[in-house]
Parts: sequence; structure tokens; C-alpha cells
Amino acid sequence: MEPNDSHGLDLHCQLILEEYRDMQPVFATMKEVVTTELKKCLSRFNILVTAVEARIKSEDSLIGKLQLKGHKYKTLGDLTDIMGARIITFYSDEVDKIAALMEDLFEIDRENSVDKRKMHELNSFGYMSLHYICRIPEKLYHDPAHPEINEYRFELQMRTALQHVWANINHDTGYKSGVEVPVEHLRNLTRLAGMLELADDEFSRIRRQITDYRRKVQTLVSSGNFDEVGLNGDTFRSYLTIHPFERLTGRIAAINQAEVMQDLPMRYLDVLQHMGFKTLGDVEKMKHDYSEAAYQLALHQLGGTDLDIISSSLALQDLCIAYLVQNGYGEKDLTQFFESINGPGPYNITRAKRILELVADLQWTSPTQP
Amino acid sequence: MACVNDGIMKVTINQKGKAYEVVLEGRLDTTTAPKFQEDITPLMQAAQAEIVLDCAQLEYTSSQGLRLFLMLQKSVMKNGGSLVMKNMIPPVKEVFDITGFSNIINIQ
Repeated sequence: MEPNDSHGLDLHCQLILEEYRDMQPVFATMKEVVTTELKKCLSRFNILVTAVEARIKSEDSLIGKLQLKGHKYKTLGDLTDIMGARIITFYSDEVDKIAALMEDLFEIDRENSVDKRKMHELNSFGYMSLHYICRIPEKLYHDPAHPEINEYRFELQMRTALQHVWANINHDTGYKSGVEVPVEHLRNLTRLAGMLELADDEFSRIRRQITDYRRKVQTLVSSGNFDEVGLNGDTFRSYLTIHPFERLTGRIAAINQAEVMQDLPMRYLDVLQHMGFKTLGDVEKMKHDYSEAAYQLALHQLGGTDLDIISSSLALQDLCIAYLVQNGYGEKDLTQFFESINGPGPYNITRAKRILELVADLQWTSPTQP
Repeated sequence: MACVNDGIMKVTINQKGKAYEVVLEGRLDTTTAPKFQEDITPLMQAAQAEIVLDCAQLEYTSSQGLRLFLMLQKSVMKNGGSLVMKNMIPPVKEVFDITGFSNIINIQ
């Protein structure tokens, strides 16, 4: 294509095309500024998105637009989508949240912005996104040599991943291009749009439920209602945040005035579940009933040494050993326990034997009389 | 191959690309720990190093040794690598067990 070819455009549209070519560096800067600021903003508010993308309208696309409706535009500035950016979110409720942030970040041309999500008739479907027409405010970026950067508008689309899929498929079928598409195919597309909309709502609803569940667990754990909290990965992690074994760890550390190295003993979850514990209340009961025995075990192991460093998971390790031994579990079970927390190896059976020899000397009797 | 022998603790490092086999011999205690720390400093700075500490001839480790092993593991993991300790004799393994360090260091 020759740059000076008129492309069937009248003089007025040719001038717009000329301005477009001259302003390429300005739009390139706008694209860079907008992309950078979007990413910074999303990161600052800890919003994870699937993509942030931006593009400058191609010359062919602009020519096509001018050929169709060039008479509508007085200057290049009347075209609001020469530079376009898009944020693709995971969840539909994040679109509104991001929109609120964009209102603070950019200058919004409300008259020309559309929420296409609200444009449907009651009996129609289609799956659209939220479009804002924006300007880069001077407080965000200003180059006195190029005031156009703050004058030209750009289009910002905010949509979910499923809305993005819909938009691309919709575009691919080309049913808006004027080419007639059989009614049956349009009906199938409409059914798909409805399904995607439902799926988007369902994803958001499930996420809200999970968040509510985690909050509830944290509240129960913080208030000490351990019997009401089932033992699983989420609840055990919350439980560990209140440092339930800190007191026992402190007692063990005091044996040799030891430094305590922090460790998150999540690997004990499988062990505790294998031991038949169903709730955090069961773990609390073990702590209550076997802390003294666990301390005695640590005292006999560390007392005769000068080891002045321990892991914070030692308390839970010794609690489990005390529980297993005092409940009649034998060498095989103890070996399995060590394999679960430390991995397989020849050491585990040796260690189980040594523990059983040691506790024979300790003469543990029962959980309440350790 | 780098070989360090201070008479009490000997550290031999065999490197093949990103794989390091570190053979420890002798006693790791307050006296030998500073030299050991010096020996392992390059390992703490290596990117994505896959380190195997062969402890078959490590006779003893004190708390200071545990601190250095933990420090090495943290640095190696931060640099995208891995650390495994293997062939420990029972008295050395017991030190890791009774301090809870078996829970935080990968021992094979």
C-alpha cells in the first residue's frame, strides 16, 4: 500500500489519516504510559488479572473506519480508539472494582463511556464488557513538548476472561459484519453467551463462599472454638498463625537456653489426620494431655547436650511421639510417623527403636499422669 | 576439585556444572565452624546449585554446625537451588532429630 494513496478517502479523511501518521510517537508514548500505570495500580491493590494489553489501531483499520463513517469525525481527536487498552480479569465482580480504580487513575469521558453489560434487552443475550473513554491526566504524565498525550482520548476495556472469549468468538463469526448468519447459529451463540454469563457469576459466587468460609474459620480459631473447626489444610494453617505450641516450645528451649528457628509444620497435617484427629479441638486436647510428656521427652534428649538451637516444630513432633507411644502404638507406627514427617530412609526404624527405649526409661503411665 | 583440610574438619567440593558434591570429614564444632563457613560461602552465592552434602565421615556437629547447615539451605533455596544431606552416621542424625532439624533440612 502506497502511503500517499487516497484509499478512496475524501480530502478531509486524508487529513485525519495524515495526522494519525504524524502522531504515531505520541500514541506509542500513551500506550507505554497507560500499560505501565495500569500494572502499577493493579499491583498496588493486589488485584490479580489474566492480562493487561494495549494496542495502537492499525492504519488499515483506521482507513476502513474512515471509509465507512469518516464524515462523523472532524479531527483525529474525535476517534477515541486509536489507542486502546484492555484489562482481563478472573472474576466478574473485579470488573467493577477495577473500574472504580480507573476513575481515580485516569480522566474519564463519561459521555462517551459505555457499560455494554447493561445494554441488553430483557430477552436478549450477548456478553459485553465495560468500556471507558479516558485521557491521561497531567498529574500522571506530562511532557510539555507533547501536550497531545494529555489531549487524545483512548479506550479502556474491562472484561472477564469469559467475556473476552465471547468477544473473540463473536468477532470471529462476523455476524456483526452485515453478512447474514443463519438464525440457528445465532441462537447457538446466544445460548453460549448465557452460559458464559452464568459461569462468570458462579465463579464469583464460589470465590465469595470460600472467602466467607476462611473468615469464619479464622474467627472460630481466634475465639478458641476449636471443637467446631474441622481439621484440614485451611484450618490447620489458620490454627498455626496463633502459635498454639509456643508455650511448649518455650519450655523446651529453656532446657539449654536455645535459639528457636521458626518452621511452619504443615507436613504434620497428614500425620494428625492419620492419627484420627477430626477437629482442631482434637489437636488442642493432645496439646493439653501430652505437653508434659513431650517436655519430659525433650528434657531427656536435650538435657545432656549443649545443643542450643531447636526448630519450632520440635514441640509438635514430641507431642505426636508422646501421643503415639502412650496410646500403645509400636515400632512400626512410630517408623511410619517419622517417614511421614521426614521422608523414607533407613534412619526412621532406628529412631523409632531409640524412642521406645528412651520412653521405657521415662516410665510414662497415662496422659493425665505423665 | 577444591580440598580444604584444617586438621580437624575437611571439606572437599566436587563440582560438575550446577551439581556440587560436598564431602565433609571430621568434627564440625565451635572451633571448626568459622573455617567451614568460609568454605561454603561460594556455595551460598551459586545460582541454582544442586548441592549434596555427603556426611558419611562427619563425626559430630554442634549447634553452630546446625546453624550453618540451615543458613546454607536458606541461601541455596533463595538462589533457586536445592540441598540434600546424605549418609549421616547415627550420632549425627540424632542431633538433627532431637532438635527438630530433621523436619526442616532434607536428609536422605
